[in-house]
Parts: sequence; structure tokens; C-alpha cells
Amino acid sequence: MISNEAKKEIDIWVSKYPKGRESSAVMQALTIVQKENSGILNSDLIYAVADYLKMPAISVQEVATFYENYNHKPVGKHVVRFCHNISCMLNGSDDLISYLENKLEVKTGEVTKDGLVSVRKVECLGACVGGPMCQIGDQYYENLTTDKLDKILEELK
Amino acid sequence: MSEIEIEIDGNLVKAKQGDSIIKIADREGIEVPRFCYHKKLSVAANCRMCLVDVEGAPKAQPACSTPVANGMKVHTKNDKAKFAQKAVMEFLLINHPLDCPICDQGGECELQDVAMEYGSDVSKFNEGKRIVPDKGIGALIQTDMTRCIHCTRCVRFGAEVAGIVEMGGTGRGEGVKIEPFLTEGIQSELSGNMIDVCPVGALTSKPFRYEARTWQMNAVPSVARHDLVGSNIITQSYRGKVKRVVARDNDSINETWISDRDRFSYEGLSHESRALKPKVKIDGEWQEVEWQEALDFTIDGIKNNAKNPEQLGVLASKYSSLEEYFLMQKLARSFGSDNIDFRIDQSDLSDGGSLESSITLSEIESIDHALIVGSYTRLEQPMINHRIRKAVLNGASVNTINSKQFDFNFNTELDLLSAPQKILSTLHAILKSLHLKIGTDVPKYLSKVIPDDVHNKIADDLIASKNGVIVLGEHLNSNPSSSAITNLIFQIAQITDLKIANLMLSGNSHAAERVGFMPTKNGMNAISMFNENTRVFMLMDVDCDYDFINLQSAADCFNNEDVFVVSMSSFENESLHTNANVILPMASYYEASGTHINFDGLVQSFSASVKSPGDSKPGWKIIKVLADLLELEGFDYINSTQVKDEALQSSKLKSSFDDVNAEIDDSQITTHWQYAPYATDSVSRRAKALQESNIGMINSAFVSKSTAKRLDINGDDLYLGVPVSITDAVAEDYVFVHTNQARRVEGG
Repeated sequence: MISNEAKKEIDIWVSKYPKGRESSAVMQALTIVQKENSGILNSDLIYAVADYLKMPAISVQEVATFYENYNHKPVGKHVVRFCHNISCMLNGSDDLISYLENKLEVKTGEVTKDGLVSVRKVECLGACVGGPMCQIGDQYYENLTTDKLDKILEELK
Repeated sequence: MSEIEIEIDGNLVKAKQGDSIIKIADREGIEVPRFCYHKKLSVAANCRMCLVDVEGAPKAQPACSTPVANGMKVHTKNDKAKFAQKAVMEFLLINHPLDCPICDQGGECELQDVAMEYGSDVSKFNEGKRIVPDKGIGALIQTDMTRCIHCTRCVRFGAEVAGIVEMGGTGRGEGVKIEPFLTEGIQSELSGNMIDVCPVGALTSKPFRYEARTWQMNAVPSVARHDLVGSNIITQSYRGKVKRVVARDNDSINETWISDRDRFSYEGLSHESRALKPKVKIDGEWQEVEWQEALDFTIDGIKNNAKNPEQLGVLASKYSSLEEYFLMQKLARSFGSDNIDFRIDQSDLSDGGSLESSITLSEIESIDHALIVGSYTRLEQPMINHRIRKAVLNGASVNTINSKQFDFNFNTELDLLSAPQKILSTLHAILKSLHLKIGTDVPKYLSKVIPDDVHNKIADDLIASKNGVIVLGEHLNSNPSSSAITNLIFQIAQITDLKIANLMLSGNSHAAERVGFMPTKNGMNAISMFNENTRVFMLMDVDCDYDFINLQSAADCFNNEDVFVVSMSSFENESLHTNANVILPMASYYEASGTHINFDGLVQSFSASVKSPGDSKPGWKIIKVLADLLELEGFDYINSTQVKDEALQSSKLKSSFDDVNAEIDDSQITTHWQYAPYATDSVSRRAKALQESNIGMINSAFVSKSTAKRLDINGDDLYLGVPVSITDAVAEDYVFVHTNQARRVEGG
């Protein structure tokens, strides 16, 4: 289930924690296997991670469902992770999310018909100073407006 | 820890440094509302219901996680505390459905009780309430997760007590759900305790669903009889039927927990196969008759068929009461027969009695090492296994010698796989290794034995242990050289100065041994009885489909035309109809008063919780009347207490060991038929929900790859009617049949 390359990567993280505390590497392990499985987790992967880190499957599931980093439904090639917490919300994130939804003809949590983009509401990403903001891939986009969003979406195509 | 003084609600009380406020309050009888706090579980402090005012602290503090300090002044009922508690209550009730009238927890619900005290009668919350879809979690526990208040007691129970982390809190914030991963159903043998710890109606008993309201039921304290522990329980009955069994606290026995077997077996009592009327077989036809006629028929049968008293044989299962065992053996002995036995599932009866345990239940908690031989303790003796697990969590190590690798809920260091026919030689090697290491003389019969690394490691651990125990399990019962094995273990324990925990016995066997329900020197035992010298059998709670180690020889004997079989039984089935001549319907668990003797030798008596159904009668009364009709002396009992008192005056049979050294051909493939834990006694076998649970459905013949080849079977085949499972985790030249099916014999 987990490729040898992924296992090697997970092992690096495991080695950073004391022996017997393999489970500390669960978040990184989930990130690694998710990336390998085109950005989405499933129950087989949860079991595989649990097995590899010697922890109960439900404990892995707890982590995988608590954090917004992990996807349990199919996602687009690009995931727009839109912050909707207090600072961004006060600066109009709700309107921008609606704008995105209308423009892409999707709801949050769904994928566009061409499979290119999906939108997701996430909790605070720690960039309150630049709110409203979103994360796409490894990149943060701050001080967003509708014009800026149009431009960003154009670039994604 | 030093003793300090604190003030709670104006009362000065003594406390230990580090204790939590709630612990002291509970001790003093001061009520603090709580949901997540449970005395046997870790402190989570996530429900916030136990907020109390601590003088000096700016905000109310959770009583469960605030340690006391000298001079601390705590108010549990002042305005600040009340305000905080009411606020928390309001939050907790936001999402809780108002379905108390159809909730099984209604009337015994902690949330309901606390809401009466602290809740408001009107909710300010106008938004939609959260709804949580239910995942099925098996046949035993009903989930209504919309009612869940996320106290996480069930999650912590799984992680800390059951040792199998099954429930968890997924999602976050408003979306948190308490659920298992996927829906395979709960695997734990202690799962029913989650129902008890759940403070709301989220987890309730599935077989009990909509059966009765808690205030309608008649609660009677009782004792569970399925294992050696004698867990303290409360039976709750409604209209003469046991509807539910819950745990009763007893720290030295079962703490707060009971096993699922003890909790859910009661369903078997109302099974359709209950024997309700006395029946006699005349010319091969079964006829329902009145008691008087059945008793006369029985007496005639006994007198006509037993030409001399020694032709009477008496057999019982391991689950009868002390009173029944005592009277039955007294009847047989007064009649003149010494052919008495309850060890019907053992294949080697050459020792005089079982090996005596030298450790108590609560002492098991503080052992530093355990060597488990022939036992899957987790499923077979769940509460004893729980104590071993506690010891392991405190640093004890465990080695096992089993024929298959078992899924214990604690870490074992070394699992030595040994087929039954090789256990003796394994123990010989360990004993020799011990002799060599300690420097004592090696007995002659061990001269050819060569211990390997594994034997040496086990020996080292035994020597290093100061306070260890050797556990003998029920898998040894069917071992043809079990006497020699117990003898060896006794020697090993002696030279290493370790304790013994004998779990080969089960149910109420200690009571049977105590009253001498075994032949003394002249009598025949449960194996030798099946010959042409026994013309009358009296069976007590014996199921001819399951219970005998050699079902065929028993059946052959019973079916003989001039053999008369009297069966006192709570249930009827096909084989009973074939084998018996008369069926005397007997009260089952919870239907008659009786006494259980547990692992510690503790004598626990219980009264009847309900009346036995139909015309069935308590076993001790049936035996008494039979004895009277046989004109035997000394059966003038008025109640079962008199029987008990007399029974306890008799002295216990002592174990005696012959120096047996049976030669065994260990190249043969052997089969070990091990009943799944819910197929051990006649009541559990008929408990529907138990049978439908994961543990109840255990039915596999485990065999290694090479042995499968020798037997010419593969993974799709059946072995003696049981699905084959090929695995590395089983000893060679051996088939471990773990099943809920009736025992079958090779070639039979």
C-alpha cells in the first residue's frame, strides 16, 4: 500500500522521535501517503499508516479527520484552501468564497467539472496580517480581492 | 504523600497532596456533577461539568483535574460554582436531543439527573441541532450518537481498560463524532462496560433495547458463573424475566467491570429450547408428564437398571452451584456409588485434583512476570486477564507457551509456539535449563533433554522474577498428558519460588472440588465411567452435544438399551432426546439460590432473581426429592442455606501427583478443539446477541502451511466442519480448532 520511497521518507520523520514513539510521525506519514495517492486519503491508506507506525487505526483516523491538511473526498488538481477564521472573515472572506463558488460553479468541498480546481474552507493558516487569504499548493495568496482571484484562477489553467 | 487539610463547602477535611478535588468530594459525600470523570479512567477534564469555585482562582476550576493544596478552600455550591455549572449544562444540552421518553437510558441517565438539577427549563438555542448518523458497532451495543456529549469515557475505556483502541473522536469542533473506524464491530471481550460508563443514552445495550424501563425492573444482586472470578452483578428483571445484567462494584473481584459473557448471557435463559415440563421416554416416545410421574419413573429406572449401587454414575458440568454439587455427590455416595465427576472435558484425570493456585486476584496486579501456558486469557478469563494487563502496564513482562499466537491486549515478550504433544518436552527443557542455571541436581529423566535459546530465555526470566506467576490455561484440559504438565509446572514454580494461577478450571469448578465432586480411590471418573459397568447415569446440566471430551464414547454408552439416563437440564436438544430416558427440567442461572466459589476461594452466595420458567425446579430441590424417594438418609433440608452450610464443612480434596512420564508420539498431527468463549456453557451458547458478536462468531481451524500440505487441505476447505485458516501463527503438526461449533471427532 505504501511505496518503498514513501516508507523511506516516513522513516526519516520516525527517526526524529525517541524509539517507541513512532506514532509521533503520523502527520508527516499521512501527508506523504496522501501526496502519493493523488492528494486523497482512503481507509486502506489509514490502515497502512496505522500498521506501519504500530498504532490503532482509529487513532490515525482521528488525526486525519481533525486537521484540514487531509482530504477524504476527491480533490481537483489544485486545491484552493480558503481561510474563513476571524481575521479573514472580518475582511470579507465569506463574500470571496461565494464569489469563487459562483465563478467555478462548485460548492466548497466539490471539484470543478474539468477536475482542475476544488475549493475548501480551512481554519486559520496563520497569515492573519494578509487576510483574506488562501493557500494553493505550497503558495499563500494574501489581501485577496475578486480581481486578484480572477487572475490567480487564470494562472491555474 | 503528605497529609494536608482543605475546606470543602465549609467542612475541614483531610486529603493527600495530589488528590483531585472531586476524589475528596466523592469521599466526603459532597455531590459534584460530572460526565467525563470516572474513578477507574484517566482524567480528561473535557466536559467541564464539575467546575467548582476555588478561593483565589479567578475562574471556576474543574474539580476532576485540580489537585488539592494545603489550606485550599473549595465551594461546590456557591453562586460562582452554580453559575459555571449551569452555563456548562446549557452548552451540553444545545445539541442533545429531547428524546428521553424513547431513550433506554431514561431514568438512569446522568445527563437527565444533572439537567434536573442544573439545567434550565427553556433553551435559548434556536438554531438547528446536530445529528450524527449511526455506525453499527456490533450485536451488543446500540449506538445513538446524536445523544453523545463527547465525554470520551468509552474512548478512554477502550484505550486504558479493554486495551483495544476501538472508539475514537474523529473530526473537530462542531463536527466531532465518537465512532469506531469503519464498521467491523467492536472486538473487545469487555465491550459491554462502555454501556455502563456512557453517561447518556449514546451507548446502550442492544439486546435490552426497548425491553423495559429501568424503574419497572426488579434489581437483585447476584454472582456471575461463567468464569473463575465470580464477578459481582445485578440482575434486573421485568415480569419474571431477566432483562439485563449490569456490574456491581467489588474492588477485590471485578472492580467496576464485567465481561460481555457475564453481561449478555442472560438472553439464553429465554431460549426456545428451555426444558419446561418433565418428560419421560416410553417405548422411544417422549411424553410430557407431571413431576410425580417423572420422579416415580426416575426412581424405578434407577432401581431396575442399577443391579448394584456401583452401577450408578453421576456427571455434571462446571457451571452448577455448590449446593447442587454437594447434594448430587451426597446422593450418589449415600446410594453407594463413588462414580462422580465434573471434569467431563478433560482427557487426563490421573491426578487427584487440580493444582492449587497460590495467588489471589488482586495480587496478580502486582506481579513482575508471568509465564502463560496454554491459555488465551483475554477471551477465556477476561477479568483475570485484565489484572495481568494492569501488571504489564506497570512494567511486568509476559512470556507465553501456546499452540497458537493469540491476540493479547498487552505486549508479550516471547511467544513460544508449541503443539500440545510437544508442551511436555518444552517444559522438560525449561526445567532442565532451570536446574543447570540454579545449580541443582538434574533429575535422571531429564538427562537427554537439550534446552535451546528460547528455553533458556524463559528460564532466565523465571529466575529473574521476584514476584512472578505461572498461569496454566484451559487449553491443557484436553491435553492427554495434562497431569504430567501440571506436575512439571508445579516443580518449576517450586524451584523458582513463583506463584501458580490455575485457570484450567472454569465456572464453578472450585465449588465442585470443594465438595468432592470427584471419585475417591474406588470410583470411576468421567473417562472410565463409560463402560458396561455403569447402567444408570445422572446428568446435571450436561449438554451431550458439546460438553464431553469424548462425545462418541459417551453417546455409545448412553444409547445402550439397558442403560438408564436421567438428565437434569435447563435445555433440551436433539442429542438429549436421543441419549436420555427422563428429562427433569432444572432452574438455570439467576433462577435458583446458590453459591459460587471463585479463584480466591471466596464463597459468594446469591438468591434467586426470578422464578424458573414452566415447571422447572431448582436443582438442589430436585436432588433432595430424588434422594427422599430413594429412601436415603440425611436429606432433610428446608432451604439451600442449610445445604451450603453442610457443604462448606466438608474438607477439600487435596491435589496429589503421580510421577507420570507418559511417552508421547509427537510426530502425529494433533487436533485441539477449543470452544470459543461464548460456547462454553449451555446458557451462553443460546444467548443470541453474544453469538452474533465478533467473539461469538469465532469459527476457524488454524493450521500452518506445511501441516495443511500434510493433511492435504487448503484455505477453502473445511476441517471437521470448520473453515480452515492457514497461518504462520500456529504450531506445526497441529490444528487449532477455535470454534463455536459442537466438538467433532476426526473420522467421525
